[in-house]
Parts: sequence; structure tokens; C-alpha cells
Amino acid sequence: MSTINRRKFIQTLAAAPLASVLTIPTAAWAAKNKNKAKQVVVVGGGFAGATAAKYLLMLDPSIKVTLIEPLKTYTSCPLSNEVVTHHRTIESLQIGYDGLTKRGVEVVHDTVTEIDPAKKSVKTQGGKTLSYDAAVVAPGIGLDFDAIEGYSEEVSKTIAHAYKGADQTLLLRGQLEAMPDGGVFVIAVPKAPFRCPPGPYERAAQVAYYCLHHGKPKSKVLILDSNDSFAKKALFEQSWEALYPGMIEWVAGSAGGTVERIDGEARTVATAFDEHKADVLNFIPRHDAGSLAKGAGLTNEAGWCEVVPLTMESAVHKGIYVVGDACKGGTPEFPMPKSAHMGMTQAKVAAGAIVASLNGLAPPVPYYANTCYSLAAPDYGFSVVQVYRVEDNQFVYVQEAGGVSPIEAPPIQRRLEAQYADGWFLNVMADAFT
Amino acid sequence: MRNILPHCLSAAALLACSTAPLAADLNLSGLAATCNNCHGVGGVSAGSSMASLAGQNRAYLEMVMLQWKTGERFSTTMGRLLAGYSEDEIKALAAYYAEKPWTPAVQELDPKLIRQGGFVLDRCSNCHGKTGGKTKTEDTPRLDGQWVRHIDLELEKYRDGTLALPNQKMADNAHKLKEKEVAAITAFFASQSGDKAETKSK
Repeated sequence: MSTINRRKFIQTLAAAPLASVLTIPTAAWAAKNKNKAKQVVVVGGGFAGATAAKYLLMLDPSIKVTLIEPLKTYTSCPLSNEVVTHHRTIESLQIGYDGLTKRGVEVVHDTVTEIDPAKKSVKTQGGKTLSYDAAVVAPGIGLDFDAIEGYSEEVSKTIAHAYKGADQTLLLRGQLEAMPDGGVFVIAVPKAPFRCPPGPYERAAQVAYYCLHHGKPKSKVLILDSNDSFAKKALFEQSWEALYPGMIEWVAGSAGGTVERIDGEARTVATAFDEHKADVLNFIPRHDAGSLAKGAGLTNEAGWCEVVPLTMESAVHKGIYVVGDACKGGTPEFPMPKSAHMGMTQAKVAAGAIVASLNGLAPPVPYYANTCYSLAAPDYGFSVVQVYRVEDNQFVYVQEAGGVSPIEAPPIQRRLEAQYADGWFLNVMADAFT
Repeated sequence: MRNILPHCLSAAALLACSTAPLAADLNLSGLAATCNNCHGVGGVSAGSSMASLAGQNRAYLEMVMLQWKTGERFSTTMGRLLAGYSEDEIKALAAYYAEKPWTPAVQELDPKLIRQGGFVLDRCSNCHGKTGGKTKTEDTPRLDGQWVRHIDLELEKYRDGTLALPNQKMADNAHKLKEKEVAAITAFFASQSGDKAETKSK
């Protein structure tokens, strides 16, 4: 009898979930019983949100991860300036969410309308309500269409910002293509912080490259800037001078660069000093964290989300981790830039912190780093690097590290960095989405 | 019954240990996660200009990272990044990636170049091994199945002649290669699939 009983007991152990018999929850068991598993909802499927979803599951397969993203195809903003100038196709920047689904992320194509930090739930346009143990909020940027007289979401359908979404990139590309030789391409840059800090200046170089090689060599690029300096300024100015002498003019904010109003139909922009007529007008509106983050009370008075540096948890609401461009950063006083690379390392820190928290562990050591390449021409690249540590609950820029590519560099360096920009792009796409 | 239960308990505990994340694992994976951005998940690169790190020789990874950190070796971005990391962190990263399985890149290569490369690799095979997998020393990189574009760029750096690269023997040999030999040799090494017979023993 005792032998049979013993065998029966062993069989029971083997057949039933081991942990439920012994009341020790294991990840393997929980993975099969996701109803009882911890739930993490990720809002937004850009570089940061997708990375968070993937790394959460990689670190702890027992968590039920749901990613909510309206679009079925993601289009990268990094390297989109090369689409404007036909060096790259829009398709080469696009990827779907199958890779995340295969990893076990539940991908829901819907729009989050409300985040309720008290009830720990999110609501969607499609009528879903999802509760969470932890939420990752990665909404990217909101564009303030109404900040300047003459611009609106409606006007943006003809006066492209090309700072968000494939349609905008393609709209600007079409306008550049149609621009006559000798035309003026105006780029209006908003007050910092904005996503991709070197983006407008890289765009200027790319547009000049296009004009030079597509029968428009007499054209000019005029950058009207609301700021008095910009990312990688010395490197950009060196590249403009070397590659496109006389084609690119930059006007600082204090020298009359700040655009005060635009006329979309006449394609004119007015500053405090002048009025400029553009053949192509690329107006980039001011950014903030967007209405969803604001509605959830996650933003500060400047419209950006402040976080706890150790974990990326919101400084306002416990259990919500904000990652990517919606986070505070990108100003001279607080330099953590709004880049895909930065957002991905933030997402990885958040994923580690959430997994630790859900498993009753202390948050891991956070590692933040940024690498951002700019391409002044297909074979001419340079970069900026930042490394951050957390000390006394503050982000600290590591002074010994980081910085921009040297101005005095052997010619091979610019070529190498252009090659590495491409490798970087392929790897971030794979790291975030597959 | 009495002697089964404790046995099962320890088995359950082991299972829990192997699947639930440990604090130390989270620290190490967090450290390495920043590298994944450019070098791929677990160091298997998805972009051909960037080196795959998974399964690379530990001593080589550690050596080049420390040389980049101090500036002894030319780099575009690695030096600026690694200046922000301690020697201990660099050593931990080298060990982390060396432990991962070597994963040859799936890439298109010209069969004619691969064949030619097989004839002219004497200058390289002394140190890197006949297939690029069994290196003479641990501080030499294995090349079998590395991305061809990455190997090309590394050779281009050596052949440029203006960059600070501490390995004089490598520089000398790189300069002695004829232009058409370069593409053949890199294609040959890139085409190798991490053959175990040639792979160094741990």
C-alpha cells in the first residue's frame, strides 16, 4: 500500500502544476496560468515601448505583457531624412509587430484614451479596460499645432513637419522633388526640447545633397531656428562648408530665427525681423509629451514627464514607468536627449526595475547610454555619445565619457561612422521589434 | 513519504531559481542590455557593419574594450562610451558575451571570392586559424562567420595607416595584402560556419 501511495503521490506531483501543490509560485507555472500572472500594460509601440515589452518578457516570462499601439506598421524616425532625399525607401524604415507577438507579447492595435493611475487601469477607444500591476507609458511626442499663428493640424497636411509618421516624411519628399532649381527650402526649428535634436540640421545637409545631385544645385536651405545653438553644431557647420559650400544658411533665434507666424498658402514665414518666402516650407511645431500623458497627470508644467532616475518610474504616479521621448530631457540644463537609442536604454532600465519589483527584489543598477549618428551625406557620418549614471537619485552625465566625434578627424572616420549608422539602425530595429 | 517530500521541495526550489530572475542576473543583463542596441540581443548583431560579440574570445573582448577606454586603440564611438564604464564592468561584459554561443551570420557572399580567399589566407591563418575559428591566442578575434562588412571595415582601418592601432603585426600584414586579396580573405572567413573541429576548446 505504501508503495502504491508513494507512486500515486509522485504521479500527482508530475501531473499537477508542481508549484500549486507546494504553494511556491514558479515562473514556468505562472507562464501557463497567465490569468493569475502579473500584468504589465505597455502604452505605445515605438522604439521605447516595443523594447520595454520585449525585455519584460525576456527577463521574466511569467509576466503577461500587453502592448497597445494604434498602428500595425511602425515607421522609424531615425534615418527618415534619407527617405526625404531618396537615398532610402520608406519601407526600409518599417516593421510590424509579429516579432513581439512571437515572443509572447499580446499586441493590441487600439488607441489608449485614458490612464487611471488610482485604479491601475487603462481604457481604449475600442472599449477595452485593462488593469495592470505596472504600466509602461511610451507615447512619444505630441505636436503643438496651435502654438504659432497660421499653423494647425489641417495646415500640416500641406506644410509638412515630417517629424512623426510616414505620411509626413513622404509629403516632404514629394515637395522637395517638385522644387525648382534655385528654390529655397526653409526649415523652421522649434524651441528645444524636441525629438532627435540633430534632426533638422541633418535634414538641411540631406536636402542640400539631394539638390546637388538631382539637378537643383542653385537651391538653398534656410534654417530658421528658435534656439541659439544646436546639437553637433561644429560638426554640422564643418560638413556643410565641406560638402555644400554656400547652400545652407542657419539663423539663430536671437538673430531673427524665431518664426512667429506662417502663411501656409503663400508659403511665407515671419520672424520678428523679416518675412521669408519658401519654395518648400518644413515647419516643425513645438513638442510636448502629448495629451494622453497630460490627461493622466504625468507631465510637469513644461509638458514633459519626470521620472525617478533609478527605475524610470513616474515621479508622480507609482506603478507607471515613462520611457522614451515623453520624458523630460533634451535641454542644455537636462541633456538626456530624445533619441531612439536613449528611449531604448530607458525602456531596458524600466523593464529591469519592473521585473525586480514584481519579484520582490531591489531595483537593478540602471545603465543609461546614448549613441546618435547623423549623416551629412551617405558616406559622411558623425555622432554624439552620452553615458549617464544615477547618483543621489539624480541623473549624472559622466564627464569622462561621451562627447561628439572629433572635428579634426582622419577622413576615414566620417566614412566609418556612416557605415556604423546603418549597422546601428538595423540593430535597434531588431533589438526593439524582433 | 517522509523522504520524498524534502526531495521534491528542493527540486521545486531549483526550478524556481532557474526561472525567476535573480538580482545579480538583472544587474548583469542590465549592463549588457545597453550594448544590445548596436550589437544585437545577446551580442548577435543584426547589422552587418557591427560586430557580433556572442561567443567571441573573452580575452580579445576585454583587451580591445580596455584599449578603447584609454584611447590606446582608435575607435569611432566605443572609446567615448567605455570611458563611462569601470574596468570591472568591462571585464564582466567581456565574460558575459564570451559565454554566449557563437552564432555565424547568415549573409550573402560571392562563392568565387570565398574560393579565392581559401588560397591566399596564409598571412591570416597563423593567428586567426585556418577557418578563423581556432585562434592562436585568446586575445585574437575569431572571424569564422563574422559579418563580412565588419571584417572589411576592420581591415580598412588597419590599411588606412593613419589610425592608432596597437597590434603592429596585424597592421604589417594588413598592409602587405593586395587589394583584391582583401575581399577574398574577408569573404572566406565570413563564410565559415563556426566548425567545431576548428573551434577553440574552452
